[in-house]
Amino acid sequence: MAKTTGNLRLEKLTKEFGNGAEKVVAVRELSLTINPGEFVTLLGPSGCGKTTALRMIAGFETPTAGKVLLDGDDVSSLTPDKRPMGMVFQSYALFPHMTVFDNVAYGLQVQKLSSSEIKKAVAEVLDSMSLSHLANRAPNQLSGGQQQRVALARAMVVRPKVLLFDEPLSNLDAKLRAQMRVEIRGIQRRLGITSIFVTHDQDEAMSLSDRIVVMRNAVVEQVGSPDEIYRRPASVFVADFIGRSNFLTVESAAKSKAGQAKIVVSGKKMDVAAQSKALASKKPVLLVRPESITVAASKSQGKSVGKGEGRVTNVVFYGNHVEYTLDTHEGVIISVVSDPVYDEIVPVGKIAKYSFDPSRAWLLPSESSEAMKEDRS
Amino acid sequence: MKLGLTVAFLGTLLGFIMAYTQARVEFRGKKILHIINLVPIISPPFAFATAIIVLFGRSGMITRGIFDWRPTLYGFPGLVLVLTLSFFPIAYMNLLGMLRSLDPALDEAGSSLGANKWRVFRTVTLPLLIPGFAGSFLLLFIESIADLANPLIIGGSYTVLASRAYMAINGDYDISLAAGYSTLLLLPALLVFLIQRYWAQKKSVVSVTGKPSGRPTMVTSLPAKVFLLTVTGLLTFLILLVYLTVVFGAFVQIIGVNNVFTLDHFRYLLGGFANGAIKTTAFLALIATPLAGIFGMLIAWLVIRKVKRGGEALDFLGMLGIAVPGTVIGIGYAITYNDPVKIGDLTVFPQVAGGGAMLGGAIAIVMVYIIRSSPAGQRSGIAMLQQIDPAIEEASASLGAAGGKTFRLITLPLISGAFLSGLMYAFAHSMTTLSPIIFLVTPDTSILTQKILAEADQGRYGNVFALCCILIVLIMIIGGLINLLVKRTQVSIDRPMVTGR
Repeated sequence: MAKTTGNLRLEKLTKEFGNGAEKVVAVRELSLTINPGEFVTLLGPSGCGKTTALRMIAGFETPTAGKVLLDGDDVSSLTPDKRPMGMVFQSYALFPHMTVFDNVAYGLQVQKLSSSEIKKAVAEVLDSMSLSHLANRAPNQLSGGQQQRVALARAMVVRPKVLLFDEPLSNLDAKLRAQMRVEIRGIQRRLGITSIFVTHDQDEAMSLSDRIVVMRNAVVEQVGSPDEIYRRPASVFVADFIGRSNFLTVESAAKSKAGQAKIVVSGKKMDVAAQSKALASKKPVLLVRPESITVAASKSQGKSVGKGEGRVTNVVFYGNHVEYTLDTHEGVIISVVSDPVYDEIVPVGKIAKYSFDPSRAWLLPSESSEAMKEDRS
Repeated sequence: MKLGLTVAFLGTLLGFIMAYTQARVEFRGKKILHIINLVPIISPPFAFATAIIVLFGRSGMITRGIFDWRPTLYGFPGLVLVLTLSFFPIAYMNLLGMLRSLDPALDEAGSSLGANKWRVFRTVTLPLLIPGFAGSFLLLFIESIADLANPLIIGGSYTVLASRAYMAINGDYDISLAAGYSTLLLLPALLVFLIQRYWAQKKSVVSVTGKPSGRPTMVTSLPAKVFLLTVTGLLTFLILLVYLTVVFGAFVQIIGVNNVFTLDHFRYLLGGFANGAIKTTAFLALIATPLAGIFGMLIAWLVIRKVKRGGEALDFLGMLGIAVPGTVIGIGYAITYNDPVKIGDLTVFPQVAGGGAMLGGAIAIVMVYIIRSSPAGQRSGIAMLQQIDPAIEEASASLGAAGGKTFRLITLPLISGAFLSGLMYAFAHSMTTLSPIIFLVTPDTSILTQKILAEADQGRYGNVFALCCILIVLIMIIGGLINLLVKRTQVSIDRPMVTGR
């Protein structure tokens, strides 16, 4: 179902809090176009500005600079109640003094629809979310997952052009969270409502989104589809934040074809795909995901660890995969071997050879250590 | 000073014992005990002082009647006894609230680390309550140095600043001397108020999670239980005794001397002496009550939701009404509004206090009622609003309801509990307040509490008790009505649920 409304454009959206020496930039020049019906996730560590960005879109925060355009109209100066957007809050924010039915009906009552229309619309949405039997309950008589559904129903029933989600799943247990993910995505696809979802949980972002916006320290670090973000992260930060990563030291790097580089890693020459700025960086690093690295026992179990080898410092057997931690000349390497042959697992203390397919690797510019420190704090 | 410190210490100690018993000991009749412990807060002034004199004074029913002992109660010891009894409930409420919000897991952590119960009590529970102790101590200190009613009755030759200020005006007609005493009173009170606010802010650091994760461990050691229950029982018995005396005294000729049933006191009072005062007081209090309630809620709402900067200052201004001793407020009003406020020849504000003032000074009295009783509503409004997740109001806005609509449909219903309890307090407090009012009454506006003072001064205790009874009955009736309203409109929400989860 193609929708034509719900095109959201953010133009250099900026928010500063405080002033003078205490000025904090929460969001810096965020520009983004979200297509009708698209599901976009703002992902980043806490304090990266993702929630502030969402609240500016909803109208709860006034941007210091920049614009929010909905279907071409500038809505930046409208108060939240004038914007055709629905929001699902982290705390659900159900009205505690109203029943489930009244909560869902609220937005329609504000629009002054006739009571028969309201009844019909509410009944429909409650039915579609299997909440009909709870219509007369008070919010505090519901389980977390049910409250979450009511919050979603309440936001959807008014047919907003854009649905905003502020970490709505963070209060649920892991199993329910996975279930709600599927449910939210299903409903969103069915209705084709443009959606923006804020989260710090990479699994949520990966499983829900058409596109992910990775934010860090008030700026956008990368925008891309889940597989782009995972396979071709724009920076060490993104690679580190999404999934697990090994960053191997590169001995030398030279340009080859466009988007490729000839490099030497642990004594081996190879051709790898490279991020556009990787070669300009003084010390590029090679990203290899743990599942791309294979491990086998080394024949020479001497005292010294040779090139392409590492000493096994930890082995965890998970059944369907084995996770190794190796101490190598290139640093600590984590390897995940799936479907392991039990007899061939290399025990702790032994020396193991590791290898990977160069086509699974990705050359990145190194990150200044200061920037990394900032994220940790 | 000595009085303030003694009363504050004893009151806090008693309040703590009562609160701890209430929170951590299992026994029957807990709820009734709780209510009895709170009654002194809304009881009229003098009820305690006069009843204690009748019971334990030189010719007291107990001291002389039973033990044939004639102690001198007037002066410091009597004052300490009466003030402690009247003010300990403040500490009790304070500490009970804190005890209940302490996370039981903290105690459990203590015992799982090998500390016995006494040690946990000493090293975990008590330190966590320090802000509560400090807060209660300071509040009791202000209350007791600023109290006027009790020192007038039972102080004897022991005078306090408040009673000196009163004498200065009513005896010597020396307003500037009174103003001087007022300033002396005002300074420590304000200082204490500031310290207390500072403490209250620090308190939030303490892990009062408000979300108890288990049941608190109850006191099981027998000696501790016996001790706690004995103190609690004695104190409760004393309070009951006082009220029984008040009621009994109202219906007999002369209590302790001629215990013959009579309605003479009521006949005398209702037959003219206090009739007007009853009507005026109730009328003025009823005018002030809704205004005080709305005023308190409005400030609370502004402080929490609307004003980003300066909210602190606004909150502070609102609370001044209770921080400043009543005597000071009364004298201040009497001085300020005795003349119309003029700019040039233009009257900006008419004369509202003193003889010949508009409506016989009623306006000044209502003003005092409002600023004295709105802080309570303000506090409970703020506490309530702080518990309400702002996201609830944001949810309403994002569903299309503009600011006014959100306030009416969402915010107001959610804080109605605080609003109505604010009303209740405002009424009870307005009916029983004395110290600021006494400087503002005129022949046209006689107030019940002032009548009680006059009768107590004359030693006509029968009338005092009867008046107290009338006051209590009035408060209970109106309070009951307000309570009915609360029950009808109040939203049934559990406190943690106000987060909207």
